[in-house]
This record gives sequence, C-alpha cells and structure tokens, in this order.
Amino acid sequence: MFSKKTLLFVAIFAMLALIAAQCGAAPTPETITVVETVIVEKEGETVTVVETVEVEKIVEKEVEVVKTVEVEVPAAAPMDERVTLDWNFSTEPPTLDPSQASDTTSVDIINNLFVGLTQFDPVSGEVIPALASDWSVSDDGLEWTFNLRQDIPWVHYDPSTGETSQAIDDEGNPRFVNANDVVYGARRTVNPDTASDYAYVTYIIKNALELNTGEDADGNPTELTLEDLGVEAVDDWTVKFTLENPAGYFPAIAGMWVVKPMPEWAIDKWNVKWTEAGLIDTSGPYMLGEWIHGGSLQMLKNPLWVNADDVQIEVINGLMIVEASTAFALYENNELDTVEVPSTEIDRVKADPVLSADFYSAPDVCTYYYGFVQTKPPMDDVRVRRAFSAAIDRQSLIDNVTKGGQYPASTFAPPGIFGAPEPGTLGQGYDADLAKASLQEFLDEKGMTIDEFNAEYGITLGHNTSEGHAKIAAAIQQMWNDTLGTDVQVENQEWKVYLKSINADSPVEDTYHIYRLGWCADYPDENNWVHEVFNSQVGSNRLRRNCADPNCDDTTGPDAFDDLTTAAGQEQDPAKRIELYAQAEDMLAGEMAAYAPIYHYTIVRVTKPYLTRNYPPLGGQDFYNWKVDQDAKKAAQGM
Amino acid sequence: MAVAELSQQGIIARKPRSLLSDSVNRLKKNKLAMVSMMFLLLMVLAAFPFASLFTSGDFAKQDLMANSALPQWVESTAIGRVVFSIIMPNNYENYVRYSDQFPLGADDLGRDLWTRTIYGARISLSIAVVASTVSLIIGTIYGLISGYIGGTVDNVMMRVVDFLYGFPFIVVVILLQTYFKALAKHGAEGSIGQVMVNLNNAMGGMFFLFIAIGLINWLGMARIARGQALSIRKKEYVDAAKAVGAVDTRIIFRHILPNILGPLIVMETLQIPGYIFLEAFLSFIGLGVNPPTPSWGIMISEAAPAVRSYPNQLLPPALALTFTTLAFNFLGDGLRDAFDPKMKE
Repeated sequence: MFSKKTLLFVAIFAMLALIAAQCGAAPTPETITVVETVIVEKEGETVTVVETVEVEKIVEKEVEVVKTVEVEVPAAAPMDERVTLDWNFSTEPPTLDPSQASDTTSVDIINNLFVGLTQFDPVSGEVIPALASDWSVSDDGLEWTFNLRQDIPWVHYDPSTGETSQAIDDEGNPRFVNANDVVYGARRTVNPDTASDYAYVTYIIKNALELNTGEDADGNPTELTLEDLGVEAVDDWTVKFTLENPAGYFPAIAGMWVVKPMPEWAIDKWNVKWTEAGLIDTSGPYMLGEWIHGGSLQMLKNPLWVNADDVQIEVINGLMIVEASTAFALYENNELDTVEVPSTEIDRVKADPVLSADFYSAPDVCTYYYGFVQTKPPMDDVRVRRAFSAAIDRQSLIDNVTKGGQYPASTFAPPGIFGAPEPGTLGQGYDADLAKASLQEFLDEKGMTIDEFNAEYGITLGHNTSEGHAKIAAAIQQMWNDTLGTDVQVENQEWKVYLKSINADSPVEDTYHIYRLGWCADYPDENNWVHEVFNSQVGSNRLRRNCADPNCDDTTGPDAFDDLTTAAGQEQDPAKRIELYAQAEDMLAGEMAAYAPIYHYTIVRVTKPYLTRNYPPLGGQDFYNWKVDQDAKKAAQGM
Repeated sequence: MAVAELSQQGIIARKPRSLLSDSVNRLKKNKLAMVSMMFLLLMVLAAFPFASLFTSGDFAKQDLMANSALPQWVESTAIGRVVFSIIMPNNYENYVRYSDQFPLGADDLGRDLWTRTIYGARISLSIAVVASTVSLIIGTIYGLISGYIGGTVDNVMMRVVDFLYGFPFIVVVILLQTYFKALAKHGAEGSIGQVMVNLNNAMGGMFFLFIAIGLINWLGMARIARGQALSIRKKEYVDAAKAVGAVDTRIIFRHILPNILGPLIVMETLQIPGYIFLEAFLSFIGLGVNPPTPSWGIMISEAAPAVRSYPNQLLPPALALTFTTLAFNFLGDGLRDAFDPKMKE
C-alpha cells in the first residue's frame, strides 16, 4: 500500500524527469545537494534562509512560491543621486535585437547591453577577451575554440518596480552566459526565419550561407538544418566555430552583435516583443531601463556585472533628438554631456573660448556615400553614374558645408582598415570635365537634350531626415545642376521608413534613383567593406547590381567584382589580399561607378569637461569605460 | 444761413454718394490700412514683374565659398556694426566671413538671402490670392444655394459642412499633401492626373499646395454666405423680382450675390494671413514646395538650425512673413470697418 506522501514524491520525480528530459543535460534529482543562500519572497516579506537543502525540498518550495530564488543584488541609490550621463541617441533605435540590428544607434546600445565573445581594446583596437577568456585556432585555420568565463550572469530588470534580478532557469538555478547561448545566438541570426539584415557577416562560418539563403551551391533547396551550422557547444563553457575558409580576422567577427549570446527562454516566451523594457534579459555592463519609444531610452548599470566596480556611470539617459541643432542647444544649456557639433555651429565653436576647449575632432572609420540604384533607369547606364559621381566636388563640400575636416573619398574603406587604398589614388573623385563628357555621351546616344533627360527620368535623391544630410543633398543637387544641368528632386524619410525604402527588396518604383548611406567599420578589414556591403551575392545589395529584374528578387550571379572580393577574402597572403582589394575598390567606384564615395567621416564633438570619455579606434560608444564627475556636473547645472 | 454758404461748406450741394464711394472714402481715411495696401502692392510688384531687376535673379545659385557670409556693409559701416552687435552672438566677429555679393548676406549654402526672400514672396502672395479665391468661389456658391433654397436641402448641405468641420484641419491638409506628393513621385493615372502632376512640377510644387489649402478652407465661407443669403432672400426686392417672373439663377446671381459679396471678400481678406502661415508651416515640415524653390517657410526652417551662430539668416524671411501677415490683417480690418454701413458718419 502506498502512503500519500510516497505518491507525492513519485509525482514530483515524474515531473523532474520530464524537465530533465526537456533540458537534456540536467543532472538526476537525487544526486544534487544545493548549499545556497536564498532569499525567499512571500507576499512582500523577505525571509533569508541559509540551509542545506535536498533537491526534493527545493521542489516543494517551488510549489509554494511563485518567483523563488534570487541572487542578492546590491541596493541602488535613488535615481537623482546616481552618476548620470545625459546622451543623445539622435533617433529611435530601430531594434535592440542583436540578430536584427544593422545601424550604429542600435549597435551602440546592444554592445552595452549584451556581452560578446570578444571585444575591441578601447585604446589599441586589438581584439581582447570578453565572454571568452581565451581562444585557439587549429593548424588549418578553420576551427576556432573559445573558452568562456563562467561568471557572467543573465540579468533581468523590471522598470516598474526598479528591481534587478538574475535570470533563473527551470530548475531555479541562476543563469550564467554559457556556450549554448552563443550557439543559439549564432543559429538564430543564420536562421532565414529571423530575416537578419546582417546575417551575411556570419557567412564565413561553415554552412551559414547555404542555411541563410536556403539554397545550396547549385541553387537547390538546402537539406541542411541549423544543427549543421559550424558552431558547436563542446561543453557548457567551450564553444567551437568551424569556418568555410581560414580567416585571421575571425575573433573580431566572433565579438560582433549578430553572434552575441542571446536569451533563448526570453525570446521563446515573448517573441518579437522580447527586447522591450521589462521583458528583456541582458548580459552586458548595462541593463535596459525605461524605454519610451521615440522619446527616450534609459540604461542602468548592471550591479551583477563581473567588472561592476569599474563601471562608473550608473544611469544613462538617452534622448532621441533628431535635430542636431536642438541637441547642441541642450548641450550649451548643460542638459546633454556630449553632442555632435552641427556644421552650422562649427565656426562659432572653434572661435568660442569655452566651446573650443570642449571640441574634439579626429578621423572616424566611416564613409559617406551616395548609392545608385542600378535597376532604375538611367542609373543602369555606367556613363550616367560616372557623371553623377564625378560631378561632386568633395573638397568644396567638406570645406564649406560639412566643415568637420573630413577626407574626400574616391574609394570606400577609410584609412585604418586593413586593405584600404590610399585616399584619392583609386576609384572616382571629382572631375567636372569627365562628368560633363560622360553625360554628354549618354545624351548623344539617346538623342536627348538635358531637358528631355530631366523630364524623362525625374531623378530623385533620397536621404534620411536630418539637417546635415539635407544640407549636403542641397549642395550636391546644385553641383549636379551647375556641372551637368540635371534637375534632381531631393526627398527625405524618417530613418526606419527610409531603410525599408532603400532595401533591395522594396518595389523599384518606391525607391530613389540615388540614396544616401554611411558605412562604419565593424571590424578592421576590407572584407567588412567592399565585400559585405557591395558584393551582390552576399551583401544587402542595395545598389541592385546584377539583378535579374528591377525589383531584384534574384540576381544573375556574381560578376568580376564579386569574384574579386570573394577571392580576396579567401586569400591568405596579406600582400596579395591588399592587391586584390585595391583592384576591387578601383573597379567598383571607378570602372563601374556603382556608387559615389563622398567623404570619410571625422568625429566632430564637444564634450563637457566633467565627462571623461574615450574614442575607440573602431568607433562606437563604450559607456562602461567613461567617467562623469557628478559633483562638477551638478555645479555646472546650478543644482 | 444762406444757401450759398451751406453749399460752400459742402452740406447741401454735394453730389449723391453711392455706398461704394462712401466705403472707399472711409477706407482712405484709415491710415494703417492704406499703408498696408501700399506695402502689399509694392510687395506684389517686387515679387512678380520686377523681381529680377533688383535681385541677382537666381535664387538657387550657390557660392559655397561664401557660405553664411554677412554683407560687407556690416563690417564697413558703423551702423552695420551696431545693429549686428545686437543681433549676433557676442564673439561673432571672430568666426564670420563677409562678402560684398549679398545685400542681406548668404545662407549656409552661400545663396543670396535677399533674392530668396523676394522670390519667396511669390509663394506666399500666390497662396494668399489663389487659396482665398478657391475658397471664396466654392464657399460662396455652396452657401448661396443652401441659403436660397432652404428647407431640407439647406439642412442636408449644412450638416455636410458640420461633418467636414469635424475633421482636424491640419491633419487633413497634411494627408492631402502627402497623397499629392506620392502622386507626384509615382506619376498619376490618366491624362488629367498627368497634367496636374506636370503643372505641379512646373510650379515647383505650388499647384498641389493651392488645391490642398483651397479645398479645406471653404467651409467657413459657406456658412457666412448661407447666412447672408437667408436674410436677403426675404427682402422685398427679391419678392419683386420673383413677382415679375425672374428665375432662381437670375435672382441668386443678380440680386443676392452682389449684395453679399462685400462682406464675404472682407472675411476672406482676414483669413489670408492664416493661409500664408499654413503654407509656411507646411513648407517648414517638408510638405510644401520642393527645394530649392524658396518660400518663407522653407527659409525659416533652414535658418532655424543655425540660429545660435547666425541669427541674421532667420531675420529676412521672418520679418517678411511678419509684415505681410500684419499688412493683410490691417487691410482686412480697414475693409471691414469701411464696408460696415453702421460706421457711416
């Protein structure tokens, strides 16, 4: 005869067995003995229990209590006493999902919220350990093994209560970022259902291209499953990547946001909403606080972060002010701690004794360019594209419009990137005579006058809404008019809408003839530039090169340029790689005139003296390395 | 008193005066209204026939080297230095450049502010005339028919107006402009649409702006016209006209319309500043005319970001907008007073 108690135990064992079966590697319940300080919350009162409990007991407790085990979290000071950074994100971040992000605003936030396998040294720019404590590569250069730290917790912050807690798994154990999270993140980005715009960064990983496009090399539906992706959790704390080709820059890619560890349980539970404040689980030095869409986004220091003592800024209040001049006014009023200087203010800032001391300017690894949509006539003709590219007087634009000491660009990758050509030597720079001759040749062939050309094609130039872009567009519109006689309409859209309009999959009649974009380095290699941006087979192909139809649903296959960048990526000899990339750069901007490189960015900022910040060599904003002198700040604000 | 004496004083022997000449006389005595009228007249002359005479003539021409330049006279004359030391930030002399090409200085792309302001008047004044004419025509006809026929027809027509009044005005204009802009971008179906799109492009985006503003503003006019028609159709002369067999259209257009047109025109004049502001607002948010066509709204929106370094760029379009709307307001006030029969001395 069974007693009631025995029956209960049997039932509990059955449940545990089920859970164990689901989790796969869960240990059997009998053998586990947990010694732990647990804080058990029962309807408001807090009881601290220090005891050695057997696993059955824990299960009994779980039945009683809704939310059980919590790691002790250091109490935070009231919000207005914490060290605060006032920052402007300039725009609503399009997404906080590491798999989806493709713009600098989103990536800046994601890099502060999520830990990656590796990171860039804030001073030297070298790849240094982050989640991975060390890594090694096999002799053939194909297998990369990363050993992980075991002490980086997943944390959850609830903005409505202000409570921080460590995420817990189904068995009530605190979650730490482990190899399975890394594998899950990589697979999720590659999964075509995720529709990641940045998945092509992972194509260096074995089978990623085939899985992401759903087609094998011959164009047949793939038979692979995500398990075949070249990433594997050897054990909980070791992850192994297998590559298609040897790539010395792989540790840099392994630290990128698309392959960051992601919280599978939260994504499964909340679906697309998982990045909202209060739902998201994060692993980085900061947590997501309140997020008012289109208004502000707050980040809070993660008290459970391994290097929490080194993170000085406790609260980041991020605004989303699009108008640079408004942000600058707030800066002058001590309401923002650092802002970009709008070009209209640069002359005054340099002349002002106080502002000029705050001023900082340095080259940035970004390039500003106009892309020509090549399925939209007349941009399908290389002579028209060359005319539009060569008619832009880059130096005059920099001296008189952007005013930030930028560098005129004739190719894509800026100096500082491995394989980048010397600026101004290759590609297509300013050449008014060439521009005129080139367009004239086209007009003569078509038997058109310039007025007929304008009326026939109604060329449009698109940019995302911003004073700076509007000004540059107006200046270039007039340069084209002066040199070529063209009548180009300038239009603008809000960032999120704009990105959709210029995507390769938007209907061709909705897109512009010419679009503006910038590109910033993700890792310091040319592969990240000409290959990942412009290769029509792997990149986003916004230029719509080699398209089978105007809407570019399919391409006609790689051309000479695509072959060049692919070959350069696989080449092992650095000198040969540089040579191949130089050819590719010259071909795309020069011979093909597929886009018009305009200038290489500079950072042009003012920063309050009470904020000490660094400028990482590869760009981005690593708030966790910054310091704010809160007393000086309060004094400046007159509080 | 002798008749001759009275005659000399102009009391007895004056010629009979019509209502119109009375009104004109009253208007002439209103100095503010007359000054406003002169100002607007000058503005029209300057903006339309003579614009190219005393401006550089090319409002889109950029001289990038002279971006944000101040006029030379600021540096060379004492009064220029005094005035600009009030307008500009403290240390402006340390960072500005000067150029003698521009009477009022240049904007941040090196375009002449004076030329752009004068050519910008074209937009504002065209809006003033066209939008008010469109709304006057639609509103008057609608109101006349409603008021004259009366009864159920009146009821239905006025409920339609009430219904349309319920829409938020600015939102509807923005929606219309967004639709028109999309139409202009993608090309319209059919020949009428194509003609409209071409017309719009030829006018730098003004045509659709006229339609959008005109289509929305006739509601108020329709209510006033209806009220006036209601009161006048009961007058004896309308009965008399009916008695001799005049048809409805004749009564409406020959007997009622002339009698209510005066007050309607006055009303419309008072609405004009609103239209000018609406255009400026739409251009400010990017739904107005297409750049580089200047309009005061666009110029203000372009100068506003630079206001902390170059407040001088904001002044020409802002002052032009202010004075023009003020002038229309004064003129409208003057007209209302002049045409009000109770104001008769």
